[in-house]
Amino acid sequence: MDGHNMTSGEPPILLELRGMTKRYGPVIACDDVAFSLRRGEIHGVLGENGAGKSTLMKMLIGLALPDGGTIRMDGEPCRIVDPIQAASLGIGMVHQHYSLVDALTVWENVALGEKGSLARETTRDRVVGISQRYGLEVDPDAPVRDLTAGLRQRVEIIKCLRHEPRILILDEPTSVLTPEESEQLFEVLGEGVRREGWAVALVSHKLDEVLQATDRITIMRDGRVVEQVVTAEADASSLARAMVGRPVTLRAGAAAIGGSVEQIVAGPGHEVSSDGRPPLLEIADATLRAPDGAVLLDGLSLEVRPGEIVGVAGVEGNGQTPISRVLSSLLTLDAGRVMVEGAPIPTGKAGAMAAAGIVVIPADRHASGCVPEMSVAENLALSSMPKMATRGILRRDEINAHALRLIDEFDIHVSSPDALLGELSGGNQQRVVLARAMSVDPKVLVAHQPTRGLDVGAIEYIGERLRAAADGGIGVLLISTDLGEIAALTDRIVVIYRGAIIGEMARSELDIEHLGLLLGGSVEAEGAA
Amino acid sequence: MGDFFSAVADIFSSPTIYGSAVRLGGFIAFAALGELVAEKAGTINISVEGSLLAGAFTGAIGYDLTRSVPLGLVAGIFGGLLVALIQANMSHRLTADQFVVGLTANVLVLGLAGFLNANLDPVVRRASVLEIPVLSDIPLIGPALFGQTWPTYLLYPLVPLTWWLLYKTRWGLEVRAVGENPQASDVSGIDVNKRRRQAIYYGGILAGLGGAFLVLGQIGSFDTAAVGGRGFIAIAAVYFGGWTLFGTVLGALVFGLADAFRLAVPVLGYHLNAQMLAALPYVLTLVVMYAITKQFRQPAALSRPFIRGLR
Amino acid sequence: MSELKAPPQQIPDPEMADQRWRSVLEMASLYVLSIGGALFISALLVAMTGSSWQKVFGALLDGAFLAPGRWGETLTVAAPMLLVALGMVIGVKAGLFNIGQEGQLLMGAMAMAFVGTKLDGPGVLLLIGGLALGMIAGGGYAALAAVMRFRRGVPEVISTLLLVFIAFQIIGFAVTTDWVLRDLDPNRPSRASTSAPLPDDVHLPIVHIFGNEFPIGIIVALLLAGFVAFMLGRTLWGFRIRLLGHNPRVAQKTGVAASRMGTWALFLSGAFAGLAGAVMLAGGGSSYRLTPGFSTNIGWQGLLVALLAQSRPLVAIPMAVLFASLRTGASFLAATGVDRKIVDIVQGLLVLALLIPPAVQFIRERRRALSAAGEEA
Repeated sequence: MDGHNMTSGEPPILLELRGMTKRYGPVIACDDVAFSLRRGEIHGVLGENGAGKSTLMKMLIGLALPDGGTIRMDGEPCRIVDPIQAASLGIGMVHQHYSLVDALTVWENVALGEKGSLARETTRDRVVGISQRYGLEVDPDAPVRDLTAGLRQRVEIIKCLRHEPRILILDEPTSVLTPEESEQLFEVLGEGVRREGWAVALVSHKLDEVLQATDRITIMRDGRVVEQVVTAEADASSLARAMVGRPVTLRAGAAAIGGSVEQIVAGPGHEVSSDGRPPLLEIADATLRAPDGAVLLDGLSLEVRPGEIVGVAGVEGNGQTPISRVLSSLLTLDAGRVMVEGAPIPTGKAGAMAAAGIVVIPADRHASGCVPEMSVAENLALSSMPKMATRGILRRDEINAHALRLIDEFDIHVSSPDALLGELSGGNQQRVVLARAMSVDPKVLVAHQPTRGLDVGAIEYIGERLRAAADGGIGVLLISTDLGEIAALTDRIVVIYRGAIIGEMARSELDIEHLGLLLGGSVEAEGAA
Repeated sequence: MGDFFSAVADIFSSPTIYGSAVRLGGFIAFAALGELVAEKAGTINISVEGSLLAGAFTGAIGYDLTRSVPLGLVAGIFGGLLVALIQANMSHRLTADQFVVGLTANVLVLGLAGFLNANLDPVVRRASVLEIPVLSDIPLIGPALFGQTWPTYLLYPLVPLTWWLLYKTRWGLEVRAVGENPQASDVSGIDVNKRRRQAIYYGGILAGLGGAFLVLGQIGSFDTAAVGGRGFIAIAAVYFGGWTLFGTVLGALVFGLADAFRLAVPVLGYHLNAQMLAALPYVLTLVVMYAITKQFRQPAALSRPFIRGLR
Repeated sequence: MSELKAPPQQIPDPEMADQRWRSVLEMASLYVLSIGGALFISALLVAMTGSSWQKVFGALLDGAFLAPGRWGETLTVAAPMLLVALGMVIGVKAGLFNIGQEGQLLMGAMAMAFVGTKLDGPGVLLLIGGLALGMIAGGGYAALAAVMRFRRGVPEVISTLLLVFIAFQIIGFAVTTDWVLRDLDPNRPSRASTSAPLPDDVHLPIVHIFGNEFPIGIIVALLLAGFVAFMLGRTLWGFRIRLLGHNPRVAQKTGVAASRMGTWALFLSGAFAGLAGAVMLAGGGSSYRLTPGFSTNIGWQGLLVALLAQSRPLVAIPMAVLFASLRTGASFLAATGVDRKIVDIVQGLLVLALLIPPAVQFIRERRRALSAAGEEA
């Protein structure tokens, strides 16, 4: 933000952490971490997934108890045991829209997690008051289920501000927002910091964002603080090196740590001239309504040609999950068609999409991607079981051999094929899902948020694999809310908004401002282009 | 067939059937109100059947020991609560499957009630009828609603009380939240499984009271077959009501009416097949559930256990 | 969150081995404690009646095994229990909780009674036809719940239960109505509502061995237990059932439709209960006559057997024998002055007690997994 560092020396330290240590079994998530927050600063906490930044924040908010270390507020030592106590100390956390209950209204959600009797009028008044004060407009009586991602985050922020915190923690706040909404968010934060003297900890793995929005930056890697810098004196490449521990070259890698989209696009491109060939996958006028009448897909059409990666960019909740589920045979379209190589595929018919050569890596890995209660070998063979049975009896040797082959090829870390999938780390589970998807020689590969929650190494790996798949003639549909990821990996980008595709551009023509407008649903932008 | 319909018309125009519908439906309503709260918090609590039976039995014992209907009702509450304690702690502390626990609890209560009844053989008398002046003079519904044994009237304040608890208190807000989205509730600082256990306790208390009401306010004797699956009908009443309070009570009364119809037929001198009549409430329940379950949005996390970090 | 590069079990760590040993020990003591607790409560109840648990235990043992001809009786009772349990296991593996076996069993018995008493033909054919129709009747009855579940989202837990109460009435109707199954013989026992007895040539063959006798139902049940274990563990069909039970979405994705496979699973689940009913009737249950109280809780108890066996078909065998022996033993309790319902209590308590150790273990494992995953909450 703007340099609002006080002229009269350093502002006072509000919160100080020393020697914070947290172990989870054999893993040290935080190792002797020191961290401080001053009044009136936005402090970026940068690090890749698994660096320990979330654990550090959880200890601050009382969701995890430290194994060692001291916390001081205003110089007084204190212990934080739960979020409610943290709130009473003036520490609040803005969660990533998963602390909201859809079925409840805004004011009820704001009231959740407080103590004392439930007072509708006072809560509503406070919600309205906070909304007006910080420009976070939202209807207190609206059910949360009807709100967009941006509005939901407003509710999260209001929920946090309701306790009048002096310290705000934001964990990856922009991952579900349009660029415009992100900007608004940082305006609100900047305002609070200036006017109210908040101290803000901004947890992020996006370099770009941290460079733009913060005053100081603490960089974590492998559970330790590796560097602490004043933002004004920092530069992107050294931060990236500090964060990953090695130079990052790959586009995918750059995307993984949130380099600016311009940088990523400026990187080496990949042009596919498949325009002439017929599309592998075609979705035409797909229309789908939820049982409660909400429009999920609204005449959506898109095509994927052989050898290309098509990115579906969009703010979460605009129809990405329905597409992924339709292509997984989990949902039946009300109208419209899905075609593979020109042949229509019945939607919602068990296994029909898979049989037609569409494989899906879903965003909700546990819910629809794999079976944690089954063995790694069984998970790897899920899609090809019928081929591994003789007259209905499973050939165990073959299942095992198949598993060993894929474990080797996809570098899955596992003690034995018989280990339960649920015992694997997130990255390894994702490799299993990917390995199974690739093992059936698909025609179309759909990847929905394939890298969420993975570390840089795994992200790079997945990126390479998607590229390799496309180079092998497969049509790849990458559905992601991460513009960096889309920009880094795709050949062509379509923008999804409220269940329809409202814009399309080649990667080489990527204009970030234009894209941002489209993400927010501004169709005039399309007209102007 | 014409005979049949004229018989039905005749039966439904008789005022006695409404009185008995309130009694029989009231019994289901006690349990259904508690079950509604348990389901709002995310549990399909099939041990409500066990809670009813336990409440009926301890209610009978309580009366036998003290010769006091109020104390019998209190004893019934404890009986129902005891079953709820087992259910809640097994399923929402130890994370055993809620249906397995519920089913086993039902079997256990049935065995215990039978065994203890054979050994203790409590003597029970029915509570006195209390006609509420003025109100009981209203035609048709007056005697049905206000000319009952006095424990029946305990139900009436429980309806607004349950509404107030669910919709006007922080506890109720949290109960609804954990039934809809336990993960989000957890992040907001709510002890999800604790709220779910408490909701089951509430269900147990009401079912226990309902069971005691059955024995002390309705039949005037104890029999292990007295509950006979009506706990499951209480669950169906919650579905019938689409997880709303008013609908649940209405559902209980509809099922009560079906039960009352069954009893009224022979009393009024009609001969319909006895087995068909006995099956009627259950058939009606199934038909209603078939017709209605998809129409309403159930609590999103209904019957899904919450274990932190596991979806 | 933290990527754990090497799974802990790869590290040869003596401390780890020590821990595992300790956890086995802990599990064992948990089992001892909870079973002990269940038996202790039962003993207290016995003491309440003025009898002693030793006497009760002795009577149970006599009634179940030691007295002449008793273990044959126990095996006779174990057969339908095991069959019901096997059906339950199939349902549970597919993620469906069919708890209406008591009713499905009755429907199976009714089908057997119909074939045996109303149709003409060679006895063997009628017997086999009756068993088959029993399976279809029980399965079809359970499939009603499947239709309700997959078309309208009615939880099968509730619908199967409610169907039990309807089944009681259907049986009651059948055996009291002349044109259905009521015994038309004027010399039928008193005026009881009952079907005619199965003709002699439609009885299951009886095995006579060591002074005991039992119908071959138990042999059928044992063979089926092995068959179900094989089908679930080793075949594509079983894999699909398990896949459906663990994750219906992944199942649907890979071509296993919940509505089709689930209906099959519920049908089979009910078919086993129906077979149990047919086997009971053809094996001499209530003197080869269908009566309103014919099922005598075998359905419920078979259900508990499956729960006790934690859905493992082969483990269900000893559990069925255990429950059957409690039942047959109970008929010797009269001499001790303890009501035979004590056995129902013991059964319920045992099931509850055996739920505890695995649940505790699960919570522990979960905690460990959470730790390893960096509390990815």
